[in-house]
Amino acid sequence: MKIGKMVTDAAPASSSRSKLINEKGFFSRLTDRTSESRGKLLIYGSALLMIVAVTAITLFLTVQGLRSFVVDRLNFWTFITGTEWFPDRAENPSFGAFPFIFGSMAVTFLAALIATPIAIGTAIFMAEIAKKWGAKIMQPVIEILVGIPSVVYGLIGLSIIVPFMRQHFGGTGFNLITGAIVVGIMILPTVASIAADSIRAVPDSLRQASYAIGATKWQTIWRVVIPAAGSSLLTAIILGMSRAFGEALAVQMVIGNVGKIPTSILDPSATLTTIITLSMGHTTTGSLLNDALWSLGLILLLISYVFIVIIRFIGKRGEKR
Amino acid sequence: MIQMEKNIVSFTNNTVTKELPIQIKVENVNIFYGDNHAVKDVNLPIHEKSITALIGPSGCGKSTFLRTINRMNDLIPSARCEGTIGYKDVNILNPKIDVVQLRKEIGMVFQQPNPFPKSISENIQLPLRFAGVRSKKILKEATEDCLKQVGLWDEVKDRLDRSATSLSGGQQQRLCIARALALKPDVILLDEPTSALDPVSSSKIEELLLELKNSYTIIIVTHNMQQAARIADYTAFFYQGELIEFGQTRTLFTNPEKQSTSDYISGRFG
Amino acid sequence: MNSKMTNRIALSVIIACAAAMAAILVSMLGYILVQGVSSISWHFLTTSASPFLAGGGIKDQLWNSFYVLVITMLLTVPIGVCGGIYLAEYAKPGRLTSFIRTCVEVLASLPSIVVGMFGMLVFVNYFGFKYSVFSGALALTVFNLPVIVRVTEDGFHALSRHQKEGGLALGLTHWHTIKTILLPAAFPSILTGIILSAGRVFGESAALLFTAGLSTPDLDFGNWNPASPNSPLNLFRSAETLSVHIWSVNTGGIMPDVQTIANGSAAVLVICVLLFNLFARMLGKVINQKFSGK
Repeated sequence: MKIGKMVTDAAPASSSRSKLINEKGFFSRLTDRTSESRGKLLIYGSALLMIVAVTAITLFLTVQGLRSFVVDRLNFWTFITGTEWFPDRAENPSFGAFPFIFGSMAVTFLAALIATPIAIGTAIFMAEIAKKWGAKIMQPVIEILVGIPSVVYGLIGLSIIVPFMRQHFGGTGFNLITGAIVVGIMILPTVASIAADSIRAVPDSLRQASYAIGATKWQTIWRVVIPAAGSSLLTAIILGMSRAFGEALAVQMVIGNVGKIPTSILDPSATLTTIITLSMGHTTTGSLLNDALWSLGLILLLISYVFIVIIRFIGKRGEKR
Repeated sequence: MIQMEKNIVSFTNNTVTKELPIQIKVENVNIFYGDNHAVKDVNLPIHEKSITALIGPSGCGKSTFLRTINRMNDLIPSARCEGTIGYKDVNILNPKIDVVQLRKEIGMVFQQPNPFPKSISENIQLPLRFAGVRSKKILKEATEDCLKQVGLWDEVKDRLDRSATSLSGGQQQRLCIARALALKPDVILLDEPTSALDPVSSSKIEELLLELKNSYTIIIVTHNMQQAARIADYTAFFYQGELIEFGQTRTLFTNPEKQSTSDYISGRFG
Repeated sequence: MNSKMTNRIALSVIIACAAAMAAILVSMLGYILVQGVSSISWHFLTTSASPFLAGGGIKDQLWNSFYVLVITMLLTVPIGVCGGIYLAEYAKPGRLTSFIRTCVEVLASLPSIVVGMFGMLVFVNYFGFKYSVFSGALALTVFNLPVIVRVTEDGFHALSRHQKEGGLALGLTHWHTIKTILLPAAFPSILTGIILSAGRVFGESAALLFTAGLSTPDLDFGNWNPASPNSPLNLFRSAETLSVHIWSVNTGGIMPDVQTIANGSAAVLVICVLLFNLFARMLGKVINQKFSGK
């Protein structure tokens, strides 16, 4: 609140007055048990820590990730676009990260392609068709599945999907599409659960208006509910994609880990996360390969930021409408 | 209509025989919410140990004004306040005011009964504990005393440990008044305290307020004109953020100076 | 094709999607539990892992998982709850607040391997904590903090405004109102959220790979002196957790019963996560009833 002028500045200060005017010093405010300042110190400190964490992560990864270009003199452009990853070659080792960037993108999009229809369909089922059943049974089960650790998904892929692929499509069974399927299944519950929430958030009045003009259930869903929930549905999918993009161990267990650009979805492949997972432990700090891996980590971080920006952008556009 | 009002209300409770000393002096108060000028240039004396009612149609600024008196509007970031509210030689609107101490001296009761989800006795004792009272004996006595003041003691004395949320709405509201009394404030602000209650509970609260005015200064915002007429010594009529008329309740109701006051109390708008 | 036909077909497709979802998830869970439960035995849970021989157990890994979880929670909960209180109660709309919100969002969506790399760089190497329980817990703190912050903020927002006004009108300071009235009232929902997040922390692996390490020293469960190197309580020893164990036996394990160990560990992991979930839900229900049931 803004200042008003004092009524009676000239009036003699009575005891009640001195109690009402806050004249305590900084120190006594800090030692007073009921004081506001102590609590604030705690609260603001914690909030500050969040900023510190993000800044530190960004800064450290940036500094470390730029080493390969600044210290080791790798060419940034050939690093990004190069397709040859032979860090161990005795003469002329080559660091082309494109296969990993491509692999990460491919896994992410294929996983979204696999997960989106099933997840959105399930969300519509839960939120529009079988509401009681959906809210009482499906939703809690799906929420529990969100919490299943990713290594478990990897293990499932390893013990069911890889043998299945081997039998029906030949090869080793460790390939790009297996990785995408594993990650797709992994993000299913996340996407479905957020999508169901956003469909439920569509006001009932819209549905009633649609039924009132003689629309069928499907027409109502397709023409009214989905457009109304639009941007939040998109957010659900992108959140799923960002999770798929960052997943490391589950993908690593099934994708085959070959650092070449796959020619078909049945070729073994590798992603940014899998190469880091595999190689990071074997390198020594400061070595060329180690620096190159940090650069991959930096790329990973930057692309995660891109996902965040996209989600924000969609959210803002949704608010405006 | 105006005739009916006169018949219902006898003004026996609230005929002011002698002018009471002024406890709070409001001068040129303006309140803004962002660009919205919610309260415009209000001047108003609040008399000690009396009931002052603020009436007016909804959105007229009366609640906003009430919440300024103990700086509850500080909670709203966009709220801004100018002018002076003189109380005990200080301006309540002074930014240096210790609002915590201020709120101990000027208590408040809200429209929705808001007991804390704790036991009945804890609800009364909590403010005292914060004020530094440690002695169990004093806390116990204060609980009994406050509950007796609001006439709740006999109803709840056997279940002081039960959750306050188990009480009926009217009981909860009386508990909230008792809680406000625990700190022995000078002034009690009530923001439509009976509008969420049934008629029987409401009339109990009204009786209680008439009793309390012997020891406390009471300012009440009400929608209900009969209520103002029944209990208030002074009444202020707000309309569109302006204080239209202020005076002794009897005068204001039977012989209003302004046309809009007369229109409002005879039910022509609002 | 008239609209009625479209309607029927479309709805069938949706139901098929839901059925596919249910089938995938149920068969998956079923597979893990059926395959794994047969390999869980008392022996399996109470024997140390064996690097090359069959018949190893997961005692150390299980202990490490819980230990790392507890340390993480000790670090995360106070900071996270305070951060949530800041956003719910103190944050004024402005640049700083929106920046902090962005930070929380960023932390929540960072790939866990990136958090692991950061942990390796800062906690393991720079601060010299080595591959240890403590480094792992710090990395997981980064990872779990935004979850607790959100849970707390949501818990506070769900409270009615009247409670807060009631406190302030009684001459309580803002901080005191928070501490004695709002926080206790929001506690049940915060606690439920914390337990759910514990399930996530328990199963996290990628962030631990480079921070808590891939091995465990021979633990002596008779030695509870936290300073001694083979004590289970030692904070600065490396600690392979259960989920990391599943990954490492599958990628590099040379013992003959890899499959059994992996399935058994996965089943234990899933059961623990399920228990966390059920516990959180039950607790939420019980406290809710206690509050509304008067």
